[in-house]
Amino acid sequence: MPISMALFSPPTHPPSLSPSISPKTHLTVKPHLSLRQPKTPFFLLSTTRASADNGAGTSASAATALEPEAGQKVAEPPQPVVEKDASSAGANGSAGAAEAVEVKVVSKFEDPRWVEGTWDLKQFEKDGKPDWDAVIDAEAKRRKWLEGKPESSSNDDPIVFDTSIIPWWAWTKRFHLPEAELLNGRAAMIGFFMAYLVDSLTGVGLVDQMGNFFCKTLLFVAVVGVLVIRKNEDIENLKKLLEETTFYDKQWQATWQDETPGGSKNQ
Amino acid sequence: MASIALKSFIGLRQNTAEKPHLMTAQTKPSSLNPRKLRVVASKSSPRLTNRNLRVAVIGGGPAGGAAAETLAKGGVETYLIERKLDNAKPCGGAIPLCMVGEFDLPLDIIDRRVTRMKMISPSNVAVDIGQTLKPHEYIGMVRREVLDAYLRDRAQASGAEIINGLFLKMDMPRDGESPYVLHYTGYGGKAGAVGEKRTLEVDAVIGADGANSRVAKAIGAGDYDYAIAFQERIKIPDDKMAYYQNLAEMYVGDDVSPDFYGWVFPKCDHVAVGTGTVTHKGDIKKFQLATRNRAKDKILGGQIIRVEAHPIPEHPRPRRLSGRVALVGDAAGYVTKCSGEGIYFAAKSGRMCAEAVVEGSENGKRMVNEGDLRKYLEKWDKTYWPTYKVLDVLQKVFYRSNPAREAFVEMCADEYVQKMTFDSYLYKTVVPGNPWEDLKLAVNTIGSLVRANALRREMDKLSV
Repeated sequence: MPISMALFSPPTHPPSLSPSISPKTHLTVKPHLSLRQPKTPFFLLSTTRASADNGAGTSASAATALEPEAGQKVAEPPQPVVEKDASSAGANGSAGAAEAVEVKVVSKFEDPRWVEGTWDLKQFEKDGKPDWDAVIDAEAKRRKWLEGKPESSSNDDPIVFDTSIIPWWAWTKRFHLPEAELLNGRAAMIGFFMAYLVDSLTGVGLVDQMGNFFCKTLLFVAVVGVLVIRKNEDIENLKKLLEETTFYDKQWQATWQDETPGGSKNQ
Repeated sequence: MASIALKSFIGLRQNTAEKPHLMTAQTKPSSLNPRKLRVVASKSSPRLTNRNLRVAVIGGGPAGGAAAETLAKGGVETYLIERKLDNAKPCGGAIPLCMVGEFDLPLDIIDRRVTRMKMISPSNVAVDIGQTLKPHEYIGMVRREVLDAYLRDRAQASGAEIINGLFLKMDMPRDGESPYVLHYTGYGGKAGAVGEKRTLEVDAVIGADGANSRVAKAIGAGDYDYAIAFQERIKIPDDKMAYYQNLAEMYVGDDVSPDFYGWVFPKCDHVAVGTGTVTHKGDIKKFQLATRNRAKDKILGGQIIRVEAHPIPEHPRPRRLSGRVALVGDAAGYVTKCSGEGIYFAAKSGRMCAEAVVEGSENGKRMVNEGDLRKYLEKWDKTYWPTYKVLDVLQKVFYRSNPAREAFVEMCADEYVQKMTFDSYLYKTVVPGNPWEDLKLAVNTIGSLVRANALRREMDKLSV
């Protein structure tokens, strides 16, 4: 992205900015990258013009642009720039609704290994094979970055990364196995303790316990419990989930609740 | 009070003098013995002498227009009460292909045919869907004022009387034969802009007056959860408009909406950029800014020409029917989850309800009762319940969180998914599909969800 496309000093009339100034008194769209001013989106009348500062020089591809006047279009290439959006529903585009312009600099996500909208696996090679853990880390960083600073989606720069290029065993090794170890450990501890307890109470040994239906049921409950309830919050979550699955159905059935025994429809 | 008013009114109609006579003679048998083999309650309703059944349709949108047309064609004396005949209802404006065929819509009311859609994930992974569409398949984008006017005019041509008026309230009848008395403010003619209060007596009412339905309030239908959809119409430069020639975009992400999606839909000569939410209505402007930001490059240089917002029901009202009053369309709450689609279902429910009335009254010759209208509800629930349920499940699974949305977009890249999605959407049937492919799809879905959630856990560990 060209850097210094539009550096302007504050109160300017930049007719040069927009090749075709619209004669209408509509307000322009000024996309708003930062979400830090949720309270004052549209009705800004202040004329605080931030100077065209380059902001925190975090990245080389930052640039700023100002549009001091309402009713003008900004026709410049996409910049990772934030301008205060001052479009107001139906407001007159003349001086009455001058926008406040605040310039912040937000940089795009950049990483040398992120090439053309996907991770370049060659750059992740370790011993001749791609280091999948590093790819996962990189993608996690990218998503975290974007969550905090959402970027505009661009047609020239489409993102085509698909997590399924990372093979299933890489995911398994990294995420499933530790948890599986944990759960198996829990199950084993519970199993051992319960087997001991039942044995000491009833004298039935482990092998005989396995033959008993009630014991088998208990075993099943224990296994399911360990699988399903992994954190304390899971108990509440499961209850809510169960309610959630049937909630919509109940909303639809509501109209049949007060109905005469003519024709109830149960779906 | 109502009865006194009715008595004086009855005097104006010479035929109704006979009605009470008929009624007393036949109320007993009607509840006991249907006269025909088919056990249908209304068939034993008294015949109306010297007049046809009178039905008022409140609301002249797609639901009202479709209902009025079907009623009028069925021989019912139909009144369509609409408060603003040139209303440009804020709306996404997408209609499925089947609506064009089922409602005989002329192709010139469709401004654009969308044949491609782009789904964009929170991390801006963009997936194109639409490759599986056949050449004749598309999603139609319409202007509501054009569509509504067309359906109303057609209803009028079939014999419905269009009344420009604002429905205020209605008086409930005392029994199964008395009419409903509707109070409305009539505009037009000498009434002018202020309007004058008028009344109308009808035998049945179809409430098609939208999300804030007064008819629903009048019958105590209850409330529903609703989403706020906020939309800005933006006129963008021609070269950017060319990109949206037949493409619509859907943006998902927590920044855009916590429980819905942001969209860029092409309209006749501009695009509509909007978003919606149920749970965080107060933040809607923030979400709108985020949506515009995500589409920034593609709408750069655009001018906002209009800002609009409207409520979208999330589920049907607790009561969709009471006595001889039925709700259809948004008034009933027939908007699907996940996609928020309502136009087709409004029109279809209007038509279905009207068909039930026509059938129950034997083309307007008999009085109807609640049982006849219940048939419309039965048929509706049976036909479209699977569609609604599937979309609800999709919303619950895929709009939950950012990882779920990432998985959603990943899944959309799959051709089978695209085919199933479009088939279901365009033809409004839940297509069963190939079981082997369904299994693969299930496995892939779970895989995507697991991967996305695993990444989320990694993200949480990072303290950026």
